[in-house]
Order: sequence, then C-alpha cells, then structure tokens
Amino acid sequence: MSILDQRKLIESIHPFELLSSSVLDDLMKKMDIAYYPKDTLLFSKNLPSIAFYIIIKGSVAEYIDGEIHNFFGQGDSFDADALIYGNTEGKFVVDEDLICYEIKKDDFIALLENKDVQSYFLQDFVTRHQQLKDYNTASDLTPFLISKVNEIYLHNACIVDADTSIYDALKKQKELKSSVILVRFKDTYAIVTDTNLKERVLLNGLDVKTPIIEIATRNVISIDINDFLFNALLLMTHNSIKRVVVMKEGEVKGILEQLDLLSYFANHSHLAAVQIDKAKSVDDLKNLQKDLKNIILSLDAKGVKVRYITKLISSLNTKIYKKVFEMCVDGDLRDKCALIVMGSEGREEQSIMTDQDNALIVKDGIDVELFFEPMMKLNRFLLDIGFPPCKGNVMVSNEFYRRDESNYRKLIDEWIVTLDEINLQNLSVFLDAKCVSGDKALLEGLKNYLFESFSARDDVLAHIAKAVLNFETPLSLFSGFVLEKNHHNKLDLKKGGIFALVHGIRTLSLEYKIDVTNTIERIKSLNNRGIFDKTFATELIECFDTLSSIRLKAMLEAKTLDEINYINPKHLQKIDMDLLKDSFRVVNKFKKFMIFHFHLNMVG
Amino acid sequence: MLFSFFKKWKKNRNFSNLKDKEFAFLFDEDTSGEFVVFDTETTGLDPKQDEILSIGAVKIKDNKILTSKTFEIYLRNSKNICSKSIAIHHIRQCDLVDAIDPKVAIKEFLHFIGARTLIGYYLEFDVEMINKYIKPMIGVTLPNEMIEVSEIYFEKTITLIPQGNIDLRFDTILKNCDLPNMGVHNAVNDAIMTAMIYLKLTKEKK
Repeated sequence: MSILDQRKLIESIHPFELLSSSVLDDLMKKMDIAYYPKDTLLFSKNLPSIAFYIIIKGSVAEYIDGEIHNFFGQGDSFDADALIYGNTEGKFVVDEDLICYEIKKDDFIALLENKDVQSYFLQDFVTRHQQLKDYNTASDLTPFLISKVNEIYLHNACIVDADTSIYDALKKQKELKSSVILVRFKDTYAIVTDTNLKERVLLNGLDVKTPIIEIATRNVISIDINDFLFNALLLMTHNSIKRVVVMKEGEVKGILEQLDLLSYFANHSHLAAVQIDKAKSVDDLKNLQKDLKNIILSLDAKGVKVRYITKLISSLNTKIYKKVFEMCVDGDLRDKCALIVMGSEGREEQSIMTDQDNALIVKDGIDVELFFEPMMKLNRFLLDIGFPPCKGNVMVSNEFYRRDESNYRKLIDEWIVTLDEINLQNLSVFLDAKCVSGDKALLEGLKNYLFESFSARDDVLAHIAKAVLNFETPLSLFSGFVLEKNHHNKLDLKKGGIFALVHGIRTLSLEYKIDVTNTIERIKSLNNRGIFDKTFATELIECFDTLSSIRLKAMLEAKTLDEINYINPKHLQKIDMDLLKDSFRVVNKFKKFMIFHFHLNMVG
Repeated sequence: MLFSFFKKWKKNRNFSNLKDKEFAFLFDEDTSGEFVVFDTETTGLDPKQDEILSIGAVKIKDNKILTSKTFEIYLRNSKNICSKSIAIHHIRQCDLVDAIDPKVAIKEFLHFIGARTLIGYYLEFDVEMINKYIKPMIGVTLPNEMIEVSEIYFEKTITLIPQGNIDLRFDTILKNCDLPNMGVHNAVNDAIMTAMIYLKLTKEKK
C-alpha cells in the first residue's frame, strides 16, 4: 500500500508518468529518501553529482558564478545534465531543509535506456519546452468540455397552440425566423420540422387550414439549460437530429441548432466576423466584446497558440476599425488619409482589449481641420464599443496624433535630435504602426522616411535599445516567490520579460529596416537576415509565446485593467512555472545579446 | 555508570533465556551503522489480547532513509479485525489473504532488524507487541537499543516553551517539523514518516 503512495508521487512528476508500470516498480526499489539540512552543498563543479534528486519537500538553488541561475521546489527534479555529462557549471545548494528521493547515478543512467525518458532529458531547450507545452495542452482540455448550454446562442422558439392552423403557424414561424414550430399539446410539446411539412402537407396534399397538431411529431427531444453542451452534442448524434429544445424548469427557453453547436466547438470567430460586417450602427458592435472574450477563452482552452489567437483577434479588431472609420469619415475624404493603429494593436499582439493607440495621417495639401469632427466621432464610437481610452492620450482625438505627412516628418526629425523619454515612447509606439483604413501608401512613405533617417545612426539606436535593460528579469525574485519568503506575491510579466523582448526586437527591426510589425514575424525576418541563428530565433519565439500565453491567462482572470500584467506564480501550475523560468532565462540571454550588439555597456 | 551496568546485566539475563541460538545475533554488537524504524498495525491497543496485523520497517543510514529496502509483512490472524481499528489502518479481513504465518513473519522481522538500534513513535507499544510473539518462541524479549522520537521531540520543544503543554500527537509533530504527510496510515508509511521526523530532529542545523 505504501509503495503505491510513493509511486503515485513519482508518477505525478513529468516525465516519470511515461514509464511503464514494471519499469516504475523496478525504479521504486532503487530509490532512497534523503534528508539534507539548509545550506548543504549537494554537488558542484568540484563535487561530482552522485544521484538524481526528486524533491519531496524543501528547495534547492543552483548558483552559477554566484548568481541564482535556477530554483527547484517541491516536485522538481535535478540534475540530469550533471549526471549524463559528468560535470556541471552550477553549484547546487539546499535553500530550505530538503527531503528528496535519490536515484543513484547508475540506476538513473540505466533508466535513460527508456526512449521517452531519454528524449526528455537529452533534448535541448526548444524541444523540451515544446514537449512541456504539449503536455500542458493535453491536460487543459477540460474547461472546453464543461461549457454549458446556457453559454451558447439559442434560437427563438416559435410556439403555437395545438388547434392553430398550419398556415397561421407557418406565418408566425416566418415572423420569428425560427427553424421549427413547437406545438403546445396538453402538458407537453410536439414539434413540426420542415420534413413534417414536406411529407404531410406538400406530398400528401393536406389542407393548410388543418390544425398544426395533425402533422406534429409527438416526441420532442430536449435538454436542460444547465446541462453540458457536450451532452447536447451526444444527444444530437445519438438521435440523428439537427436541433434540440432547451428547457428550463419545464419551460421552453429556445432551440439549440447543431450548426451553432459545431461552430461553438470549432470556434465562433466566423459568427463574430459576420456580425461586424452586418453592423449598421455602433450599437450593433457593442455586444461583440463579450463574444471576442469567449472566442479567446475557447481557443485558448483548445490549446491554440496565443500568437494565432492574437492574430485572429487583431483581424477582427481591424474589421471593427474599418467599420467605424466608414461610419465616421465621408467617402471622398477616405482615401486622403490613413487611420493607423500602433503599439500592441499595430503588432497584432493584442488579445483582450488593452487601451487604444491610434493616429491619423493626412495627405499633404489637405486641410487637417476637415478631419476634426470625424475623428472626434470615431474616438467616441470606439469608447462606446468598449475600447478603453489610452492613458498616454495616443488617440486620434488628440491633435498631436492628427497631422499631415510633412508634419509627421518634422516629428521624426525631432526624434533623431532629441530623444528624451517622451520622444522615445512616441517613437516606439509609432514603429509598430499598422494601417487599418484609408490610403496605406501614406504610412509606408513615412516608415521609409523613418528608416532612412535612422540609417547608420548607431548612436541613436543604442540609446533606444538601452530601454531593454530598464527592468530586471525577475528570475531571482521569482525564486523568492517559490520560497514564499517574499511579501510581494505577484510578478509583472510585461516589465519582467515581454517589454524587453518586444522593445529589443523593435529596435533591431528599425536598424535593419524590417517593415513587419508583429514581434514573431520580426524575429523570423531577423533570422532570415542572419542576425539571429535558427536556434536562438526559435528560442525567442517559444519564449515570447509562453510569456504571452501566461499573460493571456492572467488577463482573462484579471478583474481590473491594472491587474492584467500581473501574475501570481504560486497560482501557476507546475508546468507553467517551469516554462516561465525557462522563458526568463531566454530573456536574459536576449538582453546579453542586445548589450553586445549595441555595445550598451558603453552607452551612458 | 550504574545505569549502563544495570542495562548490561539485564541484557545478559535476557540472553540467558534465549532458547534458539539461531537468534543469538540479536545480542551482537551492532556494526552496520544503520538504524531500523518500525511500526505495527494491530487489531487493537491491548497487547494482552490484540494481535499484529502488519509490520512495516525501514532502515536509516546517515542522512538517508533506505526506502529501496523497505520491510512490509502481513500476519495471519486468529480472530476477526475489530471494525473500529479498520477505520485507522484500512486493513480488512480480505486484505490479509497474502498474510503469512505469524511465526515465520516475526522471524523474518528479526532477521531484518538484526542487532540494530530501533527507532519508533510510541515504540514501547510496538515492542511489547513484538515481545508477545517472540517470548514464547525464542524465550527472550527484544534486546536492541531503542530510540523514542516523541521523546527527542519533547526535549527539543520543552527548551522553547518550558512550561508549555507539548502536543505529542503524531500528526502534530509531523506538522511542526514541516514534514510532508504521506497520506494513508499503514505500517511502512508510518515508519517512513517516523524516520523523517528522526532525521529532521537529529540532523537539523541549529
């Protein structure tokens, strides 16, 4: 019995669950529990590792050159490399009284004969990262399966009395645009579908004045509104029907159509796109926010990579911008300006509505004042729809962000000469600009001007790049969280990692005149130009994806706008925690790259 | 001095009662450097009437609990297990199908412990249960040195709260030592947890 309990513990630690039952049994016979008091040096460069450790309780810190490099807590295991390659750079020290399982070196090496285990321990960062992610997705499917019927769009039910004539019933059905007719019959309901009408009325020549109940099918298949969508799907499949009646406490609440159900299970982004296209007024667009959030939730639950989710959301947001633009700007003015979005929207990395960053470029020779009214209206509409206002006032309602081409060029000239903090921020935001409506060429012209202006200005570029080092990567701080010694229980993902990556990549893109705005696309382009090698590029992309995905989870849980960048590592699952740690390590590597590339240690 | 003399005299008298010379090793000087932590699950709390259901034991060497060599054995019983105790140890009658003859089991246990020092929580009870079996079999009681973890815990804690009432319940000690509870109470698990307490209390840096 006890052996079983210990087995369960081992089995819950990745990658040991991959082992077959007999291998695991065998392994259990080879493990001892060891106790090490705080500050014990387990192994280091000069003290070879003799065992593989799996932490039952306590924690261990790995130091490289006196700095915390990694941190291991409950459920963590270490250190395969030290055993396989016979040496280590790090110094492994017990940070909090340690109780751990020990697998002796020889037994561990023998264990590596198992292919799955071997591949887990021998892979480089990228593959291991990928494997951990896959593992995460597999266990993350549940939220999707537990969606309930009340979360999905239900069609209006057309309910008529039993003695209504077929003709009247059909008229009512047309009015309500419902696909079936429900007939109230005694205490229950009967249903009339198109098939009933075709077979009984059209083919049998039944008079349309006949009471509708004559042609109705008595046995209605229904589902409770609080039941799972998954059950609705089973019900439909089992009975080969295309719709079920949704009931709540004996009353009909609506009709659930198979088509809606399937698109919900796929994703209902298609529906949202149609809704935007069809919108005639701002009011029609207002309800979309909730839909967008649902799309994100369901896609995320299905394990779709965040970068695809944000792309999808960006394209939907662009649609909204286009629509609003058309509502506000008269036809003849539309091709004389360009509406651009900047910042995260411009990079297509916005998922949940963060604040709007937009601006207007007016063609030279056209009076900018003509756009005052339309832009104020546009800003109002966006706020109405639910795009939060920009705290830095980077919005078309601000005169500063409504100018003609030559005035923007003046602004760019100014940026090169005086690069104070505000100018730097404006420049950064502008670098991510993407045109959503109007004449694209206007923005392209300005971007080229920008690239040419900064060409070969290494001094200015280094100055811009320096911001990458503004915030410390919270790796050592982060281990503090695991230790629970620190009072701060949250960590800023944006400052801690995302900003450094995004800004660094942005600066490199300026230097190499890369005109795509999306961070991942930029990394790929930089890789193509030979600035990053393939491995580093992949690491950066995976790392960015991980940080964004953990941030997305935080955003979905955040209650206020101020909370969206913060996560509490203690609330993360073990796997996310590992991924996060790995990612911060890549961020640090990237910072070192930037320091070297721009000679940042020489910039005052 | 007098105390150790008394101990030696007692051990010698015990040895003179040994009927089966096969078990003379119990009285040897221990050279293994190991300790044995053990626990028993019984049909009840009265050594006179109750019987052992299972014995779990694990060895300690230096700072390691040798879980790779645990000892676990189920004993065949003469009567049904009282339902109250089932709630504690989760051993039902049907779990004892693999149980072996108590005499064989106890002999295996004696070979496992050898002359090593024994460690336990309320060890006195477990030892008395074992003695109940071995006295008629080989004529002696367990001669091994014994260490009581609740006693170490008491002495360590009393210095902190001199007048305090010290809670010596197993789960409390476990909690205060900041040790993981391995869950289900069974002989081996309890032995492992007791071993952890022992290591924590004796190896911890002050």
